[in-house]
Amino acid sequence: MISPSATTPSLPSVPASRRRSFDNGGLPGAMAAEWTKTWSVRSTWWSLLTALLLMAATAAQLGIYTTDTNTNTDPTDDKGIVAASEIAIQAIDLAQFAVIALAMLAITVEYSAGTIRATLQWMPRRAWMLMAKTAVVACVTFGAGVLMGAVGAAVGAAILGRWRSFSFAGTARDLLTIGLYLALICMFTLGVGTALRSAVGTLTSVFLFLTIIPASLQNSNITFFERISDALPGVAGARFLRGATDPYPPIVGLLILAVWAVAALAGGYAVLRRRDA
Amino acid sequence: MILLTGLTKRYGETTAVRDLSLRVESGKVTGFLGPNGAGKSTTMRMILGLDRPTSGTALIGGRPYATLPHPLREVGALLDAKAAHPGRCARSHLKAMARSNGIPGARVETVLDTVGLSEVAGKRTGTFSLGMGQRLGIAGALLGDPRVLMFDEPVNGLDPDGVRWVRELMRSLAAEGRTVFVSSHLMSEMQQTADRLVIIGKGRLLADAPIAEVLASSSRNTVKVRSPHPAALSRLRDRLTAGHAEQPSPGELIVTDVPVERVGELAHEEGVPLHELTARKASLEQAYMELTADSVEYAAPGGGRT
Ligand SMILES: Nc1ncnc2c1ncn2[C@@H]1O[C@H](COP(=O)(O)OP(=O)(O)O)[C@@H](O)[C@H]1O
Ligand SMILES: [Mg+2]
Repeated sequence: MISPSATTPSLPSVPASRRRSFDNGGLPGAMAAEWTKTWSVRSTWWSLLTALLLMAATAAQLGIYTTDTNTNTDPTDDKGIVAASEIAIQAIDLAQFAVIALAMLAITVEYSAGTIRATLQWMPRRAWMLMAKTAVVACVTFGAGVLMGAVGAAVGAAILGRWRSFSFAGTARDLLTIGLYLALICMFTLGVGTALRSAVGTLTSVFLFLTIIPASLQNSNITFFERISDALPGVAGARFLRGATDPYPPIVGLLILAVWAVAALAGGYAVLRRRDA
Repeated sequence: MILLTGLTKRYGETTAVRDLSLRVESGKVTGFLGPNGAGKSTTMRMILGLDRPTSGTALIGGRPYATLPHPLREVGALLDAKAAHPGRCARSHLKAMARSNGIPGARVETVLDTVGLSEVAGKRTGTFSLGMGQRLGIAGALLGDPRVLMFDEPVNGLDPDGVRWVRELMRSLAAEGRTVFVSSHLMSEMQQTADRLVIIGKGRLLADAPIAEVLASSSRNTVKVRSPHPAALSRLRDRLTAGHAEQPSPGELIVTDVPVERVGELAHEEGVPLHELTARKASLEQAYMELTADSVEYAAPGGGRT
């Protein structure tokens, strides 16, 4: 049985001196609040666990495939010695969607659960609210990317056996690449989610942009369409991820992806600022 | 202090709030009353910067809510019992809220205790009853120890004990000099709580006055006169041209809008033997019904209210 305290419900006032001493709030406060919100729901933990399991499973499958091609009777399909972290980079294609779901939920759940009004009541500066969410999503998904990379590389290394190469610097670079890629893809997702507000709409749009549209454009075999597809976030991100040099270097892929992320967030902010909560 | 100036909100064809100007003072409980759909929640959302006014302004202590550096330390608001993510526990909800405005974590335990949720603070809010959700919302409103408090239909879903507790809470917050603005669609809830009433209907301001004045302005303030001499009573009725006098039965006269003293004097002048002379105060409920009669969105068919 829950009953309110029997004493008069008046509150002990916070003395003026203490009021000043805990003066942060603002943008750092908004970030701290979003951080607490992120880790206090189960969906975060489930998404991350799913991402790690997907990564481990996909990396294992890719590792087995690599050793198979190296040991079968057909010498033309041999992959030779493969960097352990290269396995992780290939495996991220699938595993990323669990992390994308996490980024999407950071905003769409506010609308589906009706908590957006509370959130904006705490943080009425909408630009700060979105910046705080962006910062937290970027941090968490960057960390998730690095962690997934490490898991993927470890699984890959274990399975590749004598076909494995490993360098500390190379692995570190690949893990940071995965983290950066995932953080940007997730910022893009957050921007789309802020504009669309619905989970289904967001997931569909992101999936279209990352996978379906580039695939259909590239299958068209029309140069013009292929050039367009080069400029899409999924393709640019993949070029950055795999260190491709044609038609542009990886750093350009990174920049294109970053532009997409910023553009999506700007679009999301335009909607957020204008519309009623 | 809350100051609304010409506040208007349209949603497409519907005008939810129409040219509302209002000053909510500190140290008082101001009841914000109106039938369902009158525009109370919309007004509160505009005060908090959640919905953008079509025109007009809403200021708190002279500033728009969204420009307050630590809004929760200046304005506490309960808008909706479902403001917390169902998968998050009450304590985490309040912790995140406190961190957003740089409020010390110790306040979380204090307000949990104040609203009687300490024991279930670790439970996910999705498992809460409507009343517990309402208490959590009140805890959130109190968290920043704010000078201004707004509550939108706070007693929804509370049991009679809870209702009494909310009433006492409102009174004590106002007694501490805070501004308390509380909405309801039921006059009976306001009668014992509010010092001042703001009544709206269909988005329009109908009354903004101390409770006593709202009562006095009601046309239901009547005087009942009974006499064993119907003829004398009719003479008295004819003298009362200024007011409205009805004689529902030969021995009874109901006089509206004339002070009881005056009716007594006239009865004396006309030599009416009196068996009864009573002033009947309108109840607030009646005054409210009268004020909002034309503005009820979904009136019962045939206007079946008495
Ligand atoms: N977001 C919205 N979109 C469209 N109409 C709305 C919206 N919010 C409220 N309304 C309409 O505005 C009017 C006032 O609603 P509301 O402020 O909720 O009234 P109250 O809180 O007094 O019951 C109602 O007619 C309601 O249908
Ligand atoms: Mg309402």
